[in-house]
Order: sequence, then structure tokens, then C-alpha cells
Amino acid sequence: MSAPQLLAGPDPSRGSERRAEHVARLGPLPKGGHALIELLVRTGLTGRGGAGFPVGLKWRAVTTASHGSAVVIANGAEGEPHSRKDRLLMTSRPHLILDGAMLAAASVHAKQVVLYIGEEHHAAMRSMSGALTERTEHERRMVRIVAAPPRYVAGDSSATVHLVDAGIATPTTTPPSPRDRGVGGAATLVQNVETLAHVAVIARTGIATDTVLITVAGGVRAPGVFEVNVGTPLGDAVQLAGGASEPVRAVLVGGYFGQWVEPAEAWSLPLDPHALRARGLSLGCGVIGLVPASHCAVCEVAGIMRYLASESSAQCGPCFFGLRALADACTRIAERGTDPGDLQRLQRWSAEVQGRGACKHPDGVVMFLQSAMKTFGDDFAHHPAHIRRSA
Amino acid sequence: MNNSVLWYTTRGAGAVSLVLLSAVVVLGILSVLRVQTTGWPRFLTVGLHRNLALMTLVFLTLHIVTAVVDPFTHLGWLAAVVPFSSYYRTFWLGLGTIAFELLLAIVLTSLVRGFIGQAAWRLLHWLTYAAWPFAVLHGVGTGTDAWSAWLFTLQAFCVIAVLAAIGYRFMTGSRDPLADARSSFQGAVDRREPR
Repeated sequence: MSAPQLLAGPDPSRGSERRAEHVARLGPLPKGGHALIELLVRTGLTGRGGAGFPVGLKWRAVTTASHGSAVVIANGAEGEPHSRKDRLLMTSRPHLILDGAMLAAASVHAKQVVLYIGEEHHAAMRSMSGALTERTEHERRMVRIVAAPPRYVAGDSSATVHLVDAGIATPTTTPPSPRDRGVGGAATLVQNVETLAHVAVIARTGIATDTVLITVAGGVRAPGVFEVNVGTPLGDAVQLAGGASEPVRAVLVGGYFGQWVEPAEAWSLPLDPHALRARGLSLGCGVIGLVPASHCAVCEVAGIMRYLASESSAQCGPCFFGLRALADACTRIAERGTDPGDLQRLQRWSAEVQGRGACKHPDGVVMFLQSAMKTFGDDFAHHPAHIRRSA
Repeated sequence: MNNSVLWYTTRGAGAVSLVLLSAVVVLGILSVLRVQTTGWPRFLTVGLHRNLALMTLVFLTLHIVTAVVDPFTHLGWLAAVVPFSSYYRTFWLGLGTIAFELLLAIVLTSLVRGFIGQAAWRLLHWLTYAAWPFAVLHGVGTGTDAWSAWLFTLQAFCVIAVLAAIGYRFMTGSRDPLADARSSFQGAVDRREPR
């Protein structure tokens, strides 16, 4: 792959880059403000936390709602089970993230910055807090670190606000969106740490970054995080991870809230947020998961469904009961074999659950299940009864 | 439009509203009590409860509008809004007005549940237990053919169904079905000091 932009410089495995080296390599922190927001709008940078919302537009909205006292949350919760890219970035390039967060604060008129870091991401926590001690006194006073519980929904933007405000990382009903009414009622910009790192580079170069961080997981020889050029074929990213370790049944693009794709179609897919969206797919949080042909797809899906159902925060009935019913039906098919009634129920109940939660958790799970039932239609229709293998 | 059509529509929509409302109340109670089977998980009961409630409002609107615009009744719009302001069967019609306004409040607060919070929503939802009897009494007292055999049977059926559900709820208790799961999840993500 061509030149990395976020992971340029010392080998990321050597750990946290010091501030002196960071500044020597990239130059001082430029100024944030209106011009930077317009630059971000022009570059078309989209969020890398999962939802892929256009960054410039989000910053504009927060600025409009801020009235001079917004809050910035740098989201490094990384609750997606197979994702590693946020951790790698936090442990190796903390100042890039801090730069992005400070630029965001200056641009949207924020006086507070929260580094929201998964509490089990110990190396990331150490790296970020160490980097903070190297920043100016003014910055140190603005920034605080908040530990995020290791649960899937804890990275939801409303959950980050709820934890900072009330100490409980459960999502809350939107609207109001955090960008209108977030921490302490102030307009709040919640932005993934990789996104902020891109901002730090764009602010210096004045042009769009053209890389994405991808986590390649599952049936590959050397799973890991890779910075690839936007538009790189998915198959090339798999090659960077040592290639598939055995024949591939399907590829999950974008993490658990992403879509299943047949290998034949997957290898040529461009790793480009806009191009994927045009095809009805999503880069999501950048996880590419390979399921080997030797694994039973239905059992894999059932295992993931049980996990996602257990991650419902049990605030809304349709999410808690509905996802559990869907996961149970998947598990019945996995353990006892296909039952036409269960297949029908999966279809019908999916439609019933959609749009019925306060947050988007049930919608994401339903999208995952519907994509699985489309890609693994035959497997679901003719699944034999067998003892399930652990997912 | 033929006037008798309006009058029949008023009565028909009223009867349908009562049946729908009673079904909504029964479904609401069943969902609170976690009544479910493999083929019919609880979240479907909640969905049906919600959709039938919205449909009840539609028929109630039909019931009220046709009653008011009927040139024979001369009820006027005020009677539809202000309880006990009608010259015609003042008391019984007033009960209907109250029932409608309570139901409107219950549906509207359900639609904005996220804004007003779970506790306030739940409190307002208890008003159902006032709205439903008012609606039944309104039907018995105002209905011009309330004592005809078929309508009497219909009303009796609705009353028995709802009373049976309420009785069942009294006997089995009425815990929030999500309470255990919710508090256990909240415990897992609660980082308030001191831990």
C-alpha cells in the first residue's frame, strides 16, 4: 500500500509516540475554526465510528447549537468485539487524536474535551493519559479522561453523554441528539478517535486524507489493523493480513452492524466509505471478518445474535424481548435444525422490531440478521440438527 | 349525505371503539404480565397494543365527528371538547368527552415517551383505568340502543374481558417485566462514585 497518513512515522508497535517527535514530524498544531469546518465539508470526511456521518456537517450543526460552550467527546470506547484500530491509534498516535480533539474544540467553541476510552483498553488509557501530561497547561485543564464500560452500546453517542453526565453508559432517547443537547445540556460533538486523527492531518495539509484503518479478523493468517488507501480492493487488505487461512464462506463487511457478502463479490469491493454506501453496504467501523467455509454459517450467526441480544440495555421492550426472541429462533435452527415456522418468524419479527428502540441497537441487529438470512439463505433453509459449535 | 347514515356511523363507530379500546386494555395488561409463547413473544403483544390504540383513536374521531356534524343532534363542537356542556344527555355524553380526552392524553404521551421519561409516562398510563370505565358508562347511558340484545352482549363481553384481565393482574402482581434485566444491565455500566 502507499504511504500511510495516520500511522506514518515510527512503527506503531513501538508504542506511544512522544510529543516532541510528533511535532518534529508533522509540525505545530494549526488553528481550528470556521475555515477548518468548511475544509472538512469540502473533503467529504465521514465518521469512522460506524455511522459514517459527514464530519463537516456534524461540526457545523454543533457550532450552530453551541452558543459558545460546547463539549467534545473523543470516542475511543471501541466496544465492537473484533475492532482493534482505535486501540492501535490510541496506543501509538495519542497526539494525533489530541490534536484532532483540540481542533474540534476550537472549531465548535468547546471549553471541555472528554477522552472516552474503554476501561479495559489499558495500553490505550496509559498512552492517552501519558500524552496528556505532555500538552500545554491550558489543554490539560480542558481535557479529562473518562473510562467507558466494556459493553457494545457504551460507544453509542447518547450513551457516552449519559456516562459523562450521570455515570451510567446506557443510550438515551434521541432526539434530542447530543449535538443539540448533550453533556450538561450543552451541544456536544461525539467523534470517533480515528476521525479526529484524520482531522489533525487534514488541518495541516489542507487536503483530504485518503486512507482508512481496517481491522482484518477471523479466518486470516495474520489478523490485525492496516492503514490502506481509500478504494483499495478488500481482497488486498486480506492479503496484508497474510491472506485467508482456509477457503472462505463469507465476509462480514463493517462489523456486527454491517453486511454479509459472498467471497466472489467481496474481494473486489473498494474499501471506500462512499463507494460502499453506493452499493448498499457500509464501511462501518472498518472491521472485515472472514468466516471460513469449514464453519457453520448458521451457528456463527446464532452466536453473534445471542451476543447482540445480550447487549440490549433492556430499556425498551421491543429491543430486549424482540432481539432475545430472534436470537432464540436462530439458536433453535442451529441446534435442532431448520423449522419453517422459525424461518417465517425470523422474517416477521425482524420487521416488528425495526425502529422500535430509543437507540439504534435493535435496528443494527435486525440489519445484520436480514443480511445473514439473505447471504446464507440456503444454509438457513436446510440446516441439519447438530450440536452447536461455539461462535 | 343522508342524515341517518351519519347517525348509524356514530353508533357503529362508537361500538367499534369500545371493542377496540377493551382489546387495547386487555393486551396492555397481558404485556405487563409477560404473557407469551414461543410463537407469540411478548414484544408482538406490545406492537398490537400500540397499533390497536392508534386505530381506536381513528374510530373515536369518526364517532365524534359524525355525532357533531349530524344536523339532527345539534350537539356543537363545544360538547365534544368541554365535558357536561351538552344539552343532550348532559351527564352521559360528558363521560364520553372525558374518556376521549383521557385517551388522547395517554396516546400523545406515549408518542413522546422519550421526552417525558418512563416514570411520567407510566403514571399517565394509569389513567387508562379511569378512561375505560367512563367510555363504557358513556356507551350504556348515551347509546340509544344500548339495551338491544346484540349491543348489550357486546358491552357485556368487553366488560367481562377487561375485568377478567384486571382480576388476573391483581392475582399475579404487576412488576415491570424489564425491571430485572434493566437493573442488571445498568449495574454493569454504572460508573458513579463511589463504586
